[in-house]
Amino acid sequence: MTGMLPPGFRIQRETNTEEFFINMGPQHPSTHGALRLALRMDGETIVELVPHFGYIHRGMEKQAESMSYLQYIALSDRQDYLTAIQNNLGVVIALEKGMNIGVPEKAEYIRVMLQELGRIASHLVFFACFGGDLGGQTCLLYGFKEREMIHDILEEVTGSRLTTNFFRPGGSRYDVPDTFIPRVKAFLDHMDDTMKDYERFLSKNIIVLERSKGIGILSKEDAIAYGCSGPVLRASGVNFDVRRANPYSIYDSFDFEVPVTYNGDCYDRYTVRIAEIHESMKILRQCIDRFPTEGPWRSKEKPVRLPVGRYYSEIETAKGLYATYVVAATTGEKPYRIHTRGPSFPHIAALNKMVQGHKISDLVTILATLDPVIPEIDR
Amino acid sequence: MGIINLAPKILDPIPGGKYVVNAIDYVVNWARANSIWPLTYGTSCCAIEMMSSSMARYDIARFGSEVFRSSPRQADLFILAGTITRRMAPAIQMLWEQIPGPKYAIAMGACTISGGPFIYDNYSVVRGAQNLIPVDVFVPGCPPRPEALFHGLLTLREKILKETCRNPWQVGEPKDVSTMDRYREAAKTWAALEEMKDEEMAEARAKFKEENPDYKSSFKPIRIKKEDFPEVERVPFKRMGLTQSDIYAKLKEKFPAVMVHTHSEDPVEDVVAAMPADRPLEVMVTPEDYLPMVEFIKDEASLKMDYLIDIVGIDYDDHFDVVSQFRSMEHGHKLFLCLQLKKDFSIPEEQRATALLAHAPSISHLYPAAEFKEREVYDMFGIDFVGHPDQRRIFLDDDFVGYPLRKDFTHPEMIRRPV
Repeated sequence: MTGMLPPGFRIQRETNTEEFFINMGPQHPSTHGALRLALRMDGETIVELVPHFGYIHRGMEKQAESMSYLQYIALSDRQDYLTAIQNNLGVVIALEKGMNIGVPEKAEYIRVMLQELGRIASHLVFFACFGGDLGGQTCLLYGFKEREMIHDILEEVTGSRLTTNFFRPGGSRYDVPDTFIPRVKAFLDHMDDTMKDYERFLSKNIIVLERSKGIGILSKEDAIAYGCSGPVLRASGVNFDVRRANPYSIYDSFDFEVPVTYNGDCYDRYTVRIAEIHESMKILRQCIDRFPTEGPWRSKEKPVRLPVGRYYSEIETAKGLYATYVVAATTGEKPYRIHTRGPSFPHIAALNKMVQGHKISDLVTILATLDPVIPEIDR
Repeated sequence: MGIINLAPKILDPIPGGKYVVNAIDYVVNWARANSIWPLTYGTSCCAIEMMSSSMARYDIARFGSEVFRSSPRQADLFILAGTITRRMAPAIQMLWEQIPGPKYAIAMGACTISGGPFIYDNYSVVRGAQNLIPVDVFVPGCPPRPEALFHGLLTLREKILKETCRNPWQVGEPKDVSTMDRYREAAKTWAALEEMKDEEMAEARAKFKEENPDYKSSFKPIRIKKEDFPEVERVPFKRMGLTQSDIYAKLKEKFPAVMVHTHSEDPVEDVVAAMPADRPLEVMVTPEDYLPMVEFIKDEASLKMDYLIDIVGIDYDDHFDVVSQFRSMEHGHKLFLCLQLKKDFSIPEEQRATALLAHAPSISHLYPAAEFKEREVYDMFGIDFVGHPDQRRIFLDDDFVGYPLRKDFTHPEMIRRPV
């Protein structure tokens, strides 16, 4: 098609057939939220894809400028709501760098344990939605079943199921209850068995293999160039995990592996996430063994005031690299500007590269394995 | 409902006919109230709780609503799960019109009731779904628990059971309360109630004193002992890749104009050398040096910054800062380039709010990741990226006036502040 193309489409090509355009979203069950994708089709093959964002752009960064730093921790819950507890930590680490306060050992263990629980919860939602998007609605039920157990633990510790708002500079809001460790232990014992079932559902399922192997291949060079992170990057053969590359909290004291696969297709992104659940469980078991029962669970309380400067923190959430950039132009309780780098944004930017030449049903698979959360893209 | 609504007209004149009408009502309501099919719609956090409520533990099927329909043509119930933005609003109205009547709407969560956490200082959130479509049930919470959603569903069920063929369902009108600040009204009512309570309490206290003139309270408040927390030192981070001084020396050698913004009088080299390991080096770059420097740090073997983390815009009084954050996948070090762009004050003052005030070179041909990030900075700050292949608004509508993340963006209709 030559001549005028709708905004965003760029590929110029000669073809004998008539091309047409399909709109997918913003209300669509498999776009994982309010994402709109404009597709340029040649028959049933996708020629080009243009994502349109902003349907859930809530202006958090503008709002943060008139909020205090502590209030922004609550807003960070609502960016990537599947990993809310991890986003809290990302903001809090940036604030701690500015305030120059440390964290006692017990608080670090609480942090790491909640981080890994949050990671498992997010990957279970991935498992559920991946199965559901491929047509296996049963997976939805199974993934959310184990997730409720994590929600119970989170609710007991933080008081909330989803939007936790838990960490504070120097520690957390509360100490964990006595039931925390036994509960996590019980959850892990249960999870060991269920993971075997889960892997039996999908990992060797012929439908999953047919629909995900060799689909949506993202090469190593493209993954780095587009700024992908997390399981998407690791499935393309890049061994990058912030927990290893720039260890924060006490992650350098744990024995765990960073699962890496090299094909970069949908199946690899799935296997990386399943392997990560196992690694998270490994970290949790080490935490349980070493959890200090005595000692302070937070450092001395101080007013949250940051001196003039720019502070940057990065953590590895379940989706990938979550970076917070805080600009304090005056010493005080309010930020001059806070910017968040969410992991899903680059993934959707790279989506066009992955879907070219595939069918629409493959697009649904690819989108499911990118595991995007749209409010975190739009903020 | 159609033909059933004619039943009273035909049957009421017949002796005993009204009992038949009541029986029809009973059967029809039983069917309708127990099979409310929701639309698969969700924009943010509440959608996850809505999904949880339909899964194994909470099991929305107990109330007959397990059939989440993806098409609005097959749905009865519109659960507004998640914040509604100005950009999404037309889509929501369209979805509502596509649902065949009788149809109902549940506003789930604080965002759809009033704007919730996003009510103040926000330019993009619709403050309340009732401005767009008629809402039957409001479920508060942020996000509401599945049990709360079920309570909303049962409340809706009661509402449906009250509908008869003598009093059929009618399509509602959206309430236009856009000019009204619901929170402020509620605060006023609350304050009035508090005042009333205070007066009543004062009266009761006076009366009690009159009746018992020599009463003495034996209550003694106990102070809870505050836990004493120690001050903890920060654990130094492990250094990865080159040190900040090495990177700075390499840049200085190639680009003598490079600067580091320090807040002290000490020589720059000393300040850079004293930087903690976890703090990335941030250097000031002039617009002329920007593109060559990005090429240099990408290609130089010892630096090899092949990963673009993000591009952040910052608005100051007379200039913009555009901070490009790079990282080396191979070595692990980071470098932030802070590009300072003077605002173009030759533009007349009344046009400045809608004009592109600065121009920067685009790096999207070097880093594909930069394309969307630069669009974001363009959208939020109105900085023109020269050489960008597809410079359009990304988060806001094309007809949005102004650039919201500039400090002077204070659109009175969009940005509302608490009193």
